[in-house]
Amino acid sequence: MEQALLWFFALAALVGGALMLVLRHPMRVALALIASMMSLAGVYAMLGVHVIAVFQVLIYVGAVMVFMVYAIMLLDVRDPSFTHRYSGYLLPGLAGLAVLAWTFFHTIGNSPLQAGASPATTAFDVQPFSAAFLNDFWLYFELTSVLLLAAVVAAIAILKARRGNHE
Amino acid sequence: MNNTQLLLSVSTGLFCIGLVGVIVRRNLLVMLMCMELMLNGVILSLVTLSQQAASATGAVLVFLVFVVAAAEIAIAVPIVLLLARRKHTLDADAFSDLKG
Amino acid sequence: MLTLIVLLPLFGFLLNGLLGNRLGKAFVSVVGCGLPILAFATAIVAFQAFQAADAPLVQTAFRWALIGDFSFEITFYLDKLSSVMVLIVTGVGSLIHVYSTGYMKDDSSYARYFAYLNLFLFFMLLLVLGRSLLVLFVGWEGVGLASYLLIGFWFEDSVKAAAGKKAFITNRIGDAGFLLGMFVIYSTLGTLEMDQINAAFAGPVLPAVSASLIGILLFIGATGKSAQIPLHVWLPDAMAGPTPVSALIHAATMVTAGVYLVARLSGVYIHAPEASQVIAVIGGLTAFFAATIAVVQTDIKKVLAYSTISQLGYMFVALGVGAYGVAVFHLYTHAFFKACLFLGAGSVIHAMGGEQDVRKMGGLYKKIPWTFGTFAVATAAIAGLPPLAGFFSKDEILWFAFASESGGATWLWALGSFTALLTSFYMFRLLWLTFFGKPRMDEHTAHHVHESPVSMTGVLVVLAVLSAIGGFLSIPHFLESQLPLPTVSEHLEHFEMPLLVVSVLIALTGLAGAAFFFGGDASRAARVGQRFTGLHKLLSGKYYVDELYETVIGKPLVWLSDRIFLRLGDRVLIDGTLHGLTGLARLGAGILGRVQTGNLHLYVWLVLAGIFACLAWSWGHV
Repeated sequence: MEQALLWFFALAALVGGALMLVLRHPMRVALALIASMMSLAGVYAMLGVHVIAVFQVLIYVGAVMVFMVYAIMLLDVRDPSFTHRYSGYLLPGLAGLAVLAWTFFHTIGNSPLQAGASPATTAFDVQPFSAAFLNDFWLYFELTSVLLLAAVVAAIAILKARRGNHE
Repeated sequence: MNNTQLLLSVSTGLFCIGLVGVIVRRNLLVMLMCMELMLNGVILSLVTLSQQAASATGAVLVFLVFVVAAAEIAIAVPIVLLLARRKHTLDADAFSDLKG
Repeated sequence: MLTLIVLLPLFGFLLNGLLGNRLGKAFVSVVGCGLPILAFATAIVAFQAFQAADAPLVQTAFRWALIGDFSFEITFYLDKLSSVMVLIVTGVGSLIHVYSTGYMKDDSSYARYFAYLNLFLFFMLLLVLGRSLLVLFVGWEGVGLASYLLIGFWFEDSVKAAAGKKAFITNRIGDAGFLLGMFVIYSTLGTLEMDQINAAFAGPVLPAVSASLIGILLFIGATGKSAQIPLHVWLPDAMAGPTPVSALIHAATMVTAGVYLVARLSGVYIHAPEASQVIAVIGGLTAFFAATIAVVQTDIKKVLAYSTISQLGYMFVALGVGAYGVAVFHLYTHAFFKACLFLGAGSVIHAMGGEQDVRKMGGLYKKIPWTFGTFAVATAAIAGLPPLAGFFSKDEILWFAFASESGGATWLWALGSFTALLTSFYMFRLLWLTFFGKPRMDEHTAHHVHESPVSMTGVLVVLAVLSAIGGFLSIPHFLESQLPLPTVSEHLEHFEMPLLVVSVLIALTGLAGAAFFFGGDASRAARVGQRFTGLHKLLSGKYYVDELYETVIGKPLVWLSDRIFLRLGDRVLIDGTLHGLTGLARLGAGILGRVQTGNLHLYVWLVLAGIFACLAWSWGHV
């Protein structure tokens, strides 16, 4: 049963990704991406890493994709890229896709990989996770804070520049 | 095919689709979303392999990647907005000023 | 002391060269003449010390180079031969310096002239006092340089500058042979010290190298320096320089360097019969050819130039038959009378206000009596009239050319005697055309003819006296312990007296012939000249040797340099390669630049291609 669900979610993620290439309206593309992300959250849940699944939904879908949807709704999407959704590199791109995919699968197929370990690992539970995060990896925690600060500053700078242009 | 192979295949498949999506789609926002797809594929492979290795490092790394992705989107979308405001279009072909 | 002799003229060069222009003509004259005179005095002192010690004086100045086991030192060496040379060089040199103060009085580059003249003296002294072939070669090259500087002294005239270049370049061609000779000597004998080279050949076992090879190679160098065939072409052109320069360099000292070299290495030439034969033949032919050309020359200095070449030929004939001391004797007497002739010519040119063409002279004997008197004495000396100096030396040469067992031959004597006849003839022709007959100059010049100042005529008198009595000093006898005279075939010994008489008769015949043809208005000579126009043209054209060299060597070289080295080598190959490389770079840049389309999709596609390439690489290497 769990195997079937895992397979279902995995394939759903792929289908969502493929749809992104085909749909015309950017809003529909966003919805396909959301679907794909939700499927991935399902995969993580099936694997037993619930923390990551929750993060996926909260951060990726809840923040990143919402922001994207806002941006799509803000802009006028009826421009040349709506009618002609594909660039000039469609055929080379598809050829590249085939080659790259084949290369990856060949590499994976050739490398010795064990079967998936049992999901009864506790490293991905909340408490061990946060303990490890704040004890052993506190430096990266601080660095990410810096990164986020930088992002906030950049956003403000963009805001100021826009204001400057207007006046 | 066992789980690991399946999930790694899905992960690389998502990565390839995302990359090709950047190549073939014209709309800037769609290109951004395809880049997010790429990132998702990578996260999936990271989760798969670190769950196998039962490593705390893997979990932390996944979380950090989320944070970075969020920060990146927070900046990339305003940039796209500004560009679109300048050229009044979201078509990637309009931005060939660095030609030659 | 020997080092002092060499260094005094060098100080003169430095003082005159650096300070002369600022300190005025008086300073230049005093330094320029005083230092050579001082060198002459020092040379006399050194000579007396040498006579007292009865052994060669050796003085090492410093060690030049130490290469492995071999050390090259600058050593000065005074023995009989070099003492004769050093006294001639400094003595006649000082006299000519004094003469120059009068001759070059009105020249604007007075200081530069004396600087170069002192420089020449320095190098010449290096040449004659050096113990090693290396020092000699430094002096050899140095006098070539000084000669170039002095011949092209009035360098603003491109013809004169070209004459300087010709002299230097022709000399250098000969120097190639000299260098090869030096290399052979050094590689086989291991030394370049000339007394040691002679000693190596004097022992019972000869070294394992062909003495003739060395002999011929060194002789090639001598041909260039002493203007023998085929490298004689520079000396007539060298008359473009000031006349005292012609006297010093091209009569008394530099051109005799070749003779000195062969005489110095007599120890080698004694064992080189083939080389000696070559020297004798070339010497004889040169003497003859130059004399024939001199008969028809119309420039007073050119006649003397060809006469110099001819007399040098005589010296080489003497060297070729083994009479080294006699060659040096002729060198010694030639220095006196040739210098006197050249300086006298200078005095005539000075009197004529710069005119050098003999056809425009005449009747000068009353107006410039001192010049005439000294010129006449020197002419008689060169013609070989007894008891003047030239008679003794030339007669000895002809005697050994006839009778020496190491190369003497009757045809050599006959050629030499005929040349002596021509010598007497053309020299007296010069005397008659210049000084006798009706004046053929224009009114203006005739008015200006005046005797030269005492600084010039005084020197002329001294040289004329030396030309007259110099022959009584028997140099061959003095040098005999070092340069032995060759043995004379016994059955020819009784010819000595008759040949002497023949020599005197030849000289007198030449005098009579010249008086006959060129006395009065020289019309008889003109008529003979019209009868033999072909021969006259050949001789006036100097046998067209310059034209031959131009066609055979000059033009092909120019063609080669232009077509092959310039157009092909430089423009096509070198420039073409560089331009080709830049064109290639430009082409490559053009092709690679097409990647920059500004199109984002292309760039990402290239990222994809890169990822694929990395993965593919990892298959083979990971």
